Amino acid sequence: MRRMIPYGVGIGWRPEIAGFVAALPGLRFAEVVAESVHAHGDLPAGLTGLRERGVAVVPHGVKLSLGGAEPVDPARVTHLAAVARRLEAPLVSEHIAYVRAGGVEAGHLLPIPRSREAVDAVVANVRRTREELDVPIALEPIAALFDWPDDELDEAAFLTEILDRSEALLLLDVANVYANARNRGTDPAALFDRLPLERVAYCHVAGGSAHDGVYHDTHTDAVPQEVLNLVAELCARHRPPALMLERDGSYPPAAELTAELDAIAAASGYPAITRAGA
Amino acid sequence: MEFAASGDTWGVPGPTFLFLYLGAVAAVAVAAALHRRSLFAGDRGARVENLGAQQVAYLNGGDRLAVYSSLGGLRAAGAIGSAGDKTLSQTGPLPSGVTPLDTAVYNAAGRRIRAREVLTDQWVRSALDQLRGGLEANGLAVGAATRRTARLWGFAALALLVVGIARLFAGLANDKPVLFLVFALVFAGFVTVTLARANRIATRAAVDGMADLRRRHDYLSPRQSPSYATYGVSGAAMGVALFGAASLYSMDPAFAAEAEIHRTATAGGSTFDSGGSGSSCSGSSSSCGGGSSCGGGGGCGG
Repeated sequence: MRRMIPYGVGIGWRPEIAGFVAALPGLRFAEVVAESVHAHGDLPAGLTGLRERGVAVVPHGVKLSLGGAEPVDPARVTHLAAVARRLEAPLVSEHIAYVRAGGVEAGHLLPIPRSREAVDAVVANVRRTREELDVPIALEPIAALFDWPDDELDEAAFLTEILDRSEALLLLDVANVYANARNRGTDPAALFDRLPLERVAYCHVAGGSAHDGVYHDTHTDAVPQEVLNLVAELCARHRPPALMLERDGSYPPAAELTAELDAIAAASGYPAITRAGA
Repeated sequence: MEFAASGDTWGVPGPTFLFLYLGAVAAVAVAAALHRRSLFAGDRGARVENLGAQQVAYLNGGDRLAVYSSLGGLRAAGAIGSAGDKTLSQTGPLPSGVTPLDTAVYNAAGRRIRAREVLTDQWVRSALDQLRGGLEANGLAVGAATRRTARLWGFAALALLVVGIARLFAGLANDKPVLFLVFALVFAGFVTVTLARANRIATRAAVDGMADLRRRHDYLSPRQSPSYATYGVSGAAMGVALFGAASLYSMDPAFAAEAEIHRTATAGGSTFDSGGSGSSCSGSSSSCGGGSSCGGGGGCGG
């Protein structure tokens, strides 16, 4: 397995905040939604600027449906591979989830049952995808508000088996880990003990909010202190090469985004990226 | 009768007239372009990088866009809102470090005037005069007098258009073919309209600088649905300045609609650029002009 060089703190690039991202002096890592990038047309201006600065830009797929029972759509795999080449990305990422079944688009990332059959399906789809990719793929488990009744494996065993058999890396969403544990009343850090942390390619750090006692991983709220504490906990065990702020809407004033990036830097021990020469 | 039959309208053969006519129109277009190039050249060393948003807005869309840019900044700061009857209102304190135009617009909002009347408010006008004066002194904007001078070329083109129309009627009365003359008139009309609409404000130096500004602030383009909350007051004002009133609609559609913001207010005359647009079709005099050589006389009289 190729070892990733450490990038430090990054951010999810979105057109809405492209000017903020472009102005981060210490940025070396960013992620872009793969489906929003043309494989052959012009890159969004902001991304071109980042690439010229040498910032690593990782395409993050959301529509491959790796967890679907049917094989992945070859056209979508080709697109992901082309975008990765286009961006000269060091890796790509996708979700362990399904977004369509039987030709029906769910429009959301849906959790798959943690069964051996599901592991087989995911592993087969990841292999099909890797055949076209020139770079490694990192897989991201998603937050789920419920568990399927016929789960045969727990979260850690399920993920470890998929990673082992598909030779993929892990994209760990710390906010998801927090949300899942909180909603089930378990200890979030306990999962870290059982995951292959050396396979974590990078981490998502996002905000959420609680409604009626259920914590939702919204990506549109501030990152809670509990999630930052979990980042510190993770980095104390094995610090991932990159951790990035994932914000998908209700973008706050620049000062708040800056404070969140600095908080992630402080929790992980990486240098702050919001100040030149920091 | 014998005068008409004797041949050419006004005694000038059709092809010759057409050739001279198109040559004259093209000469006016080229001379006007050259003159305007020097009139609108501005100061080559003038820089737009350090201008405030409202100054950029004025260069891009005149008084109206400058006021819109101020409205955008004040709105993003939470200082103003609309009161529901298309009037403005103050909804918060005036932010620090604002321009005289911001202060004037904010005070006008305090008097609950209608948004579309802000442009005619006395204090707003005086702030705009000050803003305009500074840009003209710096070689970034041209004054009204220069724009009038540039528009004079429109009269020269208009005179040629009148001559052409007279020729058209004379030719028709003379039973001559006039198709090519009609084409020439369309060309002369286009040149006339273009020259008469010389209402651009920004000098060449400013236009070049602003193209660069627009590239560097591409993230503020409404196409990116920018997060104005993230970019703050200055981002909102600059977005309106560079990308027009569409930015106000993208930022706060309810406010923009209530304030009767003109959606298309942007890029004031900068599209009517200099450049030798006359040259391409001037050589088309070709073989058979309007007056024509196939007159009625000749040998077939019997």
